[in-house]
Amino acid sequence: QTRIKLGTLLPKDTSQYQSLERMSQEWRAKTSGAVTLTIYPGGVMGTEEESIQKMRIGQLQAVTLSASGLADIDPYIGAVEKVPMLFRSMEEAEYIRGKIAPQLESRLEQKGYVVLFWADAGWIQVFSRRPVVHPSDLKGMRLLTTPGDPNEAELIRSLGIVPVERSWGDALVGLQTGAVDTIVTTPFLCLAGQFYRSANHYLALNYVPLAGATIMSKKVWDSLTPEQRQAMREAASKAGKEIQNSSRSENETSIAAMKRLKLQEQDMTPEMEAEWRSYFEAVYPKVRGKLVPEDILDQVQKDLAQYRSTKNSSGGR
Amino acid sequence: MSAAADSLSSAAWETQSFPDHGKKNSFWSAGENVAIAAVLMSMMLLPLLDPLLRWIFGSAAQSTGSIVQHLVLVVGMLGGAIAAREQRLLALSNVAESRLKGAAKAWVQACTAAVSITTTSYLALAAWQFVRTERDTGHMLAYGIPVWAVELLLPAGFAVITLRIFQHSARDWTRRISCGAIAMLMILLIQYCSASHFFVPAAMIVLGAASFLGVPALVSLGGTALVLFMGAHEPIASIAVEHYALVINPVLPTLPLFTLAGYFLAEGGSPRRLIRLFYALFGRFPGGPAIVTVVVCAFFTSVTGASGVTILALGGLLVPILKSGKYSEKDALGMITGAGSLGLLLPPCLPLIVYAIVAKVPIEKMFLGGLLPAFVMMTATSIWGVLRGRKTERPVIPFDLCEAREALWDAKWELLLPVVAIVALFSGLATTVQAAALTSFYAFVVATVIHRELKIFRDLPRIMAECGLLIGGVLLILGVSMGFTNYLVDAEIPARAVEWATHSIHSPMLFLLMLNLFLLVAGCLMEIYPAIVVEVPLLVPIGAAFGIDPIRLGIIFLANMELGYLTPPVGLNLLMSSYRFRKSVPEVLRATLPVIAVLSIGVLLITYVPWLTTLLPRLVE
Ligand code: NA
Ligand code: NA
Repeated sequence: QTRIKLGTLLPKDTSQYQSLERMSQEWRAKTSGAVTLTIYPGGVMGTEEESIQKMRIGQLQAVTLSASGLADIDPYIGAVEKVPMLFRSMEEAEYIRGKIAPQLESRLEQKGYVVLFWADAGWIQVFSRRPVVHPSDLKGMRLLTTPGDPNEAELIRSLGIVPVERSWGDALVGLQTGAVDTIVTTPFLCLAGQFYRSANHYLALNYVPLAGATIMSKKVWDSLTPEQRQAMREAASKAGKEIQNSSRSENETSIAAMKRLKLQEQDMTPEMEAEWRSYFEAVYPKVRGKLVPEDILDQVQKDLAQYRSTKNSSGGR
Repeated sequence: MSAAADSLSSAAWETQSFPDHGKKNSFWSAGENVAIAAVLMSMMLLPLLDPLLRWIFGSAAQSTGSIVQHLVLVVGMLGGAIAAREQRLLALSNVAESRLKGAAKAWVQACTAAVSITTTSYLALAAWQFVRTERDTGHMLAYGIPVWAVELLLPAGFAVITLRIFQHSARDWTRRISCGAIAMLMILLIQYCSASHFFVPAAMIVLGAASFLGVPALVSLGGTALVLFMGAHEPIASIAVEHYALVINPVLPTLPLFTLAGYFLAEGGSPRRLIRLFYALFGRFPGGPAIVTVVVCAFFTSVTGASGVTILALGGLLVPILKSGKYSEKDALGMITGAGSLGLLLPPCLPLIVYAIVAKVPIEKMFLGGLLPAFVMMTATSIWGVLRGRKTERPVIPFDLCEAREALWDAKWELLLPVVAIVALFSGLATTVQAAALTSFYAFVVATVIHRELKIFRDLPRIMAECGLLIGGVLLILGVSMGFTNYLVDAEIPARAVEWATHSIHSPMLFLLMLNLFLLVAGCLMEIYPAIVVEVPLLVPIGAAFGIDPIRLGIIFLANMELGYLTPPVGLNLLMSSYRFRKSVPEVLRATLPVIAVLSIGVLLITYVPWLTTLLPRLVE
């Protein structure tokens, strides 16, 4: 009889939570009740940092985290999320995630965690109080930055943007008073947090993917039988796919819903995209070694170049 | 120095049984006081210097945000240790102190001290277990200091508190050693019997009895959390994780900073100047002294965050004014006791901040939501005061324009303090913490440079240690209460409570009525901070299920708690007035009953007239 307690920030009334709930039912059924999962949704077990601490002391055995939460455990995870405009499509992001997953998973395993599934929740994009079209429009804008990472704040400052360290809980008031005038988040979270009411200008710029994973304590995982682990993995990867698909489609419906309310969309033309890409690529040297360790970033960039060239040559044939 | 400052500096929350204890350690005590003053000072200056540091050092400047957050941990544990040194860890009940005598009293106190020592030892152990897991992560704070090194203050602080409770457990070594032996026995019992079915009920009975006889609230609440986690075979380090998460919350630095601002004002001549001003404005009306009492008390409670401080600091000044208005002694007593809690809903009062943190809502919205309800409560109390005043004949004082103008000019710096706070908070130019730092820096300048009523080397360490003691005591209670709440979350009790409430209650009106009844009882039994931490996570989701947003729920909650300050058995204002005016608690209670009735009407208005709370926060959007 193994009881696993999982903490997540996902609120209870979301489709993502429902997917985790289905995974829980499947775990119980497939192990004949030997493994039970209790989910603590909506951040009742605290922030991502706190959930990780609770896993270390043994109060929680599993946790669903964003990549930036995971990067707290191991900075190598930053490679899947922290580099602005590194990926040109979701296919690229997913390809790289698959490619480096074994390396990241073995690093996490050394720290005592097993990855149950990886997933993303679509693109993080730009929402602002004033229209943003070109990189120069961002100059002097106040961007909400989650507190605690001086390197990230430094990166933003080097782009000419003012980082405003606030938690997401204070984001709405920050936007209303003008202390913050720009946020980067997924459309779904922008709608859920009602940020669009102040930040009603939307730039369809694919900044970074919002990636994440569900991880479990290796000690508990190792205490299970191989059959149990097999069944749990299958259910978990199914939940991961569900979460990814529903999150991506919810982003689209969220944009449509916000446009009906008051959101003004700025489309990306190929010229604009090139302009933004060179703007962000100029700060990659500040990312390398600070936000993301050198070797993994070099490897990802090499893999990306290779992926693009094979894709181009197969497309050209 | 003013009478207010005199009464404040001699204030003790609990009777000092051993006034001679501090003498031999006075050098060490002075060191602690200077240390906490230095930490509070850095906390005030760092957020303000942040832009300057960035300008000088450019990208080499490290973020002061997380440094200031960790300074709260330092103030909390150091302040807690000072409170233990001064035997002023807030207790919920003190039956042993007030009802027992002689040898029986000494033995009972040695036994309750043993319960305290056992509990704080385990809290130290829990914190140590947490820090040990943190050490392996290698996280750095800033300037090469690892985070775990600062976190080490958690177990260290609890260890010092344990030693100090032991030191004060008895006057003679026979009883002191017995106390230690009883604590050892209890620790052995816990080590070997915590798996037994009898463990949780037996431990709860011991804790309950000790709480009744008189142990610090920290012990009652922390002990309950420990027993529950042990009984459920869950790690006790969870309490430390929660404690740490609370104290390093990014907006928590506002709590010590606003409190500090209040202490700078209360210790100088501000109470006298403000009373003079409001007396000049309202004094000539029948019932004018009552209005003066209401306005000045509300102002001071909102800036010091502690209604007890208001009663201690202002009581002595307000009694003669009320008496000059021909108020009976009984009415004056009731008026001051009741008015002491009036600032609770007025920004930047601490409970508003604590609620915002616990319920995860923006502080600014809580501040705006509280304004109109605060005026409702103040108006209700003023009306009662004016009516009481009309019954008594008194000569009409002509309005003295000259005096009013002079008093206004005299009090201009104090009156600007809320303006500084509000402009900084809502202009979008400063973060919430910077706004709080600016407010306390402003109060510091007013007290030391403009009025020169406080001398930096003579007064500041003492005043700041006093402020640190209050903050330390509050943060310890909040921290362990978070641990207790986390047990409830772990056992999925809030989730079940939502289910139960939505199944058995069908209308929002009925829910609000039940909420009022529940909070009335809770206000009688609980101190405000544990009440917020323990009950709010339960109530917010239930309220949301009935369409009541967390801001409105918070104001209803705090309005009820305002009443709770005045209701026995756990009514802080009753105890404070009883202490300050040397009257028995029942006597104070009888005098306060009419004010309780008036405030109850206010609570009902705030509960059932939603726009009082929602109007202002909506205007900002
Ligand atoms: Na009470
Ligand atoms: Na109370």
